[in-house]
Amino acid sequence: MKRSLRSWLWSVPLEKEVDDEIAFHREMRARESMERRPQQRLVEANLKVGLNDQVGLRRTLIDIGRKRDREMQLTQWLQECWTDVRFALRQMRRAPGFTSVAVLTLALGIGANSAMFALADGVLFRPLPFPAADRLVVVEEAAAAATGALRSRIAVLNVRDWSEQNRTFETLAGIYLSPGNGGPAMSGYGPAEIILNQTVTARFFDVLGVRPLLGRTFRPSDERPGDEPSVVLSERFWRTRLGADPTVVGRQLIFDGRPRTVIGIVPAEFEFVRPSSMWTLFPIPADGATRRLFTGMRVIGRLRPGVAPAAAQADISAIADRLAAQYGDQRLDRRISVEPFRSDLVGPDLRRVSLLFVGIVAIILFMCCANVANLLLARATGRARELAVRSALGAGRSRIVRQLLTESVTLAILGGLAGGVIGEAMLAVAPNVLPAGLLPGGVALIFDARVVAFCAVAAVGTGIAFGAVPAWQVARHPLAEVIGAGSSRTATTSGTRLRGVLVGAEIAAAVLLLCGGGLFLRTLLTVEGAVPGYGAEPESVLTMDLTLPAQPQYSTATQRLQFFQAAEREIAGAPGVRSVAWASTLPMGNSQIGSQFFDIDGDAPGAEVERPLANYQIVSPSYFTTVAVPILAGRGFTDRDTESSAPVCVVNEAFVERYLRGRPVLGARIRMAIFPTGDLVTREVIGVARQVKGRADEREDPAQIYVPNAQNAWNEAYLLVRATNRGASIAAQVRAALDRIDPDLPVRSVLTLEGVADAATARYRFRASIALAFAVVALGLALAGVFGVLAYTVEQRTREIGVRIAVGATTGHIVRLVLGSAARTVASGTVAGVGLAALLGRSLSVFLFGVAPIDPITFLLAIVVICGTTAAACSLPAMRAARIDPATTFRQD
Amino acid sequence: MADKTPNTLLHGSLDALILKTVAAGPRHGYAIARFIEEASGETVVVEEGSLYPALYRMERRGWLEAEWGESELGRRVKMYRLTRAGRAQLAAETAAWRQFSAGVSRILLAQ
Repeated sequence: MKRSLRSWLWSVPLEKEVDDEIAFHREMRARESMERRPQQRLVEANLKVGLNDQVGLRRTLIDIGRKRDREMQLTQWLQECWTDVRFALRQMRRAPGFTSVAVLTLALGIGANSAMFALADGVLFRPLPFPAADRLVVVEEAAAAATGALRSRIAVLNVRDWSEQNRTFETLAGIYLSPGNGGPAMSGYGPAEIILNQTVTARFFDVLGVRPLLGRTFRPSDERPGDEPSVVLSERFWRTRLGADPTVVGRQLIFDGRPRTVIGIVPAEFEFVRPSSMWTLFPIPADGATRRLFTGMRVIGRLRPGVAPAAAQADISAIADRLAAQYGDQRLDRRISVEPFRSDLVGPDLRRVSLLFVGIVAIILFMCCANVANLLLARATGRARELAVRSALGAGRSRIVRQLLTESVTLAILGGLAGGVIGEAMLAVAPNVLPAGLLPGGVALIFDARVVAFCAVAAVGTGIAFGAVPAWQVARHPLAEVIGAGSSRTATTSGTRLRGVLVGAEIAAAVLLLCGGGLFLRTLLTVEGAVPGYGAEPESVLTMDLTLPAQPQYSTATQRLQFFQAAEREIAGAPGVRSVAWASTLPMGNSQIGSQFFDIDGDAPGAEVERPLANYQIVSPSYFTTVAVPILAGRGFTDRDTESSAPVCVVNEAFVERYLRGRPVLGARIRMAIFPTGDLVTREVIGVARQVKGRADEREDPAQIYVPNAQNAWNEAYLLVRATNRGASIAAQVRAALDRIDPDLPVRSVLTLEGVADAATARYRFRASIALAFAVVALGLALAGVFGVLAYTVEQRTREIGVRIAVGATTGHIVRLVLGSAARTVASGTVAGVGLAALLGRSLSVFLFGVAPIDPITFLLAIVVICGTTAAACSLPAMRAARIDPATTFRQD
Repeated sequence: MADKTPNTLLHGSLDALILKTVAAGPRHGYAIARFIEEASGETVVVEEGSLYPALYRMERRGWLEAEWGESELGRRVKMYRLTRAGRAQLAAETAAWRQFSAGVSRILLAQ
């Protein structure tokens, strides 16, 4: 402190300080030489200091002095800060109620923000866990939109040619994602189960820069036909199924009855796009034009350093055009796109959701700030005297503002620390709350240094934000005025106005979030209330995903059909089972096959891109009765529809509406391929089935074609068992019945239809619950704000109210007086909030289903909620005001 | 070594002498120089070219602090005062010197 006082009180320019000091020294030296030792010292002293030395000495001293002063200023600043912080902490200890409310409010805001920051950071910014991930791109070849939502994939031969002919990629690879959930079954090592498999081209791991834990990954030489088939395993699979046995590398494992050599193990975080336990090489077929029509590969590539995606796009486009000309590819409007890997991995939906959540929590944080600012304002008026005294003692206005800001930042840092803890807790429970599949592989949700840094920045930022309000008040009002006023009345007037504005903004924010939450809730209700189209009670139907292994006993369609029929009989005999069926699609669930092209006999064949598409479902005859889908015309399948009888199909209402309008439906002939061989058959329409929802949130009814499994027995199917009671209770009997037929059958995804529907709407439920939870928090914050301001006003105006009562004001008068301004604040806040909601609603429309972004019912409900709750919050202070006893108030002064 | 004058101070010992001098009470720069010269029986000459940089450096490091005082002739001059950190530094340098000189003596004065 003392060191700094010098520069404060006797501030002298540094140059003068140095010059004076040296001059004084020389003068004294000279005097001394003459007085005492004329001959000896004079010569010595004056010769030693030449002119050069003098200039040099002066420069040295000024240099050191300047550094000294700079350090002193910093030291002084830090000391003042530290004093302020200690003072602030003392103040907080003195007002534990205020402190804990403020810290908790801020902790809530910062905690929610840190968790959402972690989400947004992981989705938008955090580098993916691959080396030089910014050079990773996805290459797509989009054709004209006729194929619907399907994103175009690439033929594996094209992948090979692109990879060999391009000049812009370091490496390029394809990955094949099969439409169903199938995979090979492994023999040995525990019970049979489907093993998640991805088939890739040889450079797949090189593109991603994956280093194996053990062994190696694929090499281009592995792709040579005739080589021993090899397999790379994931770390997770290796640990859980193979007991992390290191000797497994180099050994052979039996998949689907065929041996494959394990060549390496790759770390768990490289499960790409969706979980995978093993990777095998995609067999590259012999060349030929027709081979290029089967497009199944997603293509990922690693750009050469410094190559822009646009250059890569031009490069690949040129190659693709050449190949198309060479092989007669006539797809319309073929286009190559090269997109950063991240935007492909994350997808627009997740990006929007994270931004939405960030927006929501930012509003919450604003409200927390507003509430704490309100608390501080109320205190500031109470502290006006203390500040005035400090000012009188010599503290400048900027010094006082700084001290107030230090106090609020200290408060906010405490809030930030607690908020960090809350955020970490939120992230810890997040995996149990997030719907499965929300976050793609490679995007992590973790509490790390980036989140901590965010908390720190958020804390300091909010501290300054909410501290600025009272500090600004102090800066604006001459402190002398405050002292002169004798009471805190002067500062109160403008403080009250400011608090009114803050509370109005809070009301607006709460209304906005209520409207948003309401829209999400209505969407959820629409989606959950979707009529599925089948009559069976969803909880009574047990489903499981079953894939017949590629074993000799299931190699022909007849063998597979025999299995399906035998299993149906066996399970039907189990206790508690009402009926059994097979299907390739679950209502509101997954489809193992997806949509297929077809042509109606008699219609002119359309161009490739305009061919009609319908959801292709292979079902057993009992399917329609098992899930109770009514046949509206004609008949369903029977045991007489066999492999050798006439090919038949059943279509649904949307199919008739779209493709057979005004024509005889029954007897119409439809030409389409057998899945997956592609052999064309012409099927006769023998019945029309009721529309069944494919997805809860489909915007138009999908056209559906059912074919009997006797006429297209594929080796992947869903088993549906309707129980006399709850479906879940018969799972064990069903499994036992299956085991009696083949104990090695891998079974997955055992769910009732209710569970299937729940999983289908999980993301809507998640969004609605987050949006509503924060809307409730916002409502609470706004109510706290309204209540706090009104209670404070009543306290401030106790005397005035006392006088009014004394001169005859009725209770009604007083209540009206007190509530008047609060009602105006609430009303204007509500209007602003509804206006904002109407403005911002449009940006929500991508998340909404079955409800307009400006929904009168939702908005009206939000208004009713805010008016009702604020009225309740105001009633207490208003009642207090009405009960003021004038006699007591006068006695107090 | 032979041509080194006995007046030259060993490196670093000027700091210690200044600290020791100021420990007795605040003094201005010239007074510090004179005190050292007189107390050493005029065997040590303190030049301004080394004295003032040392003073400024020690002020920057917080061993000394400056204040305005009055000289014997009634002029306003800058006085140096020892701080708590300076006192600790003096103790440390004294101890180091004791050790050093004892070591050197043991060799040079060995019988």
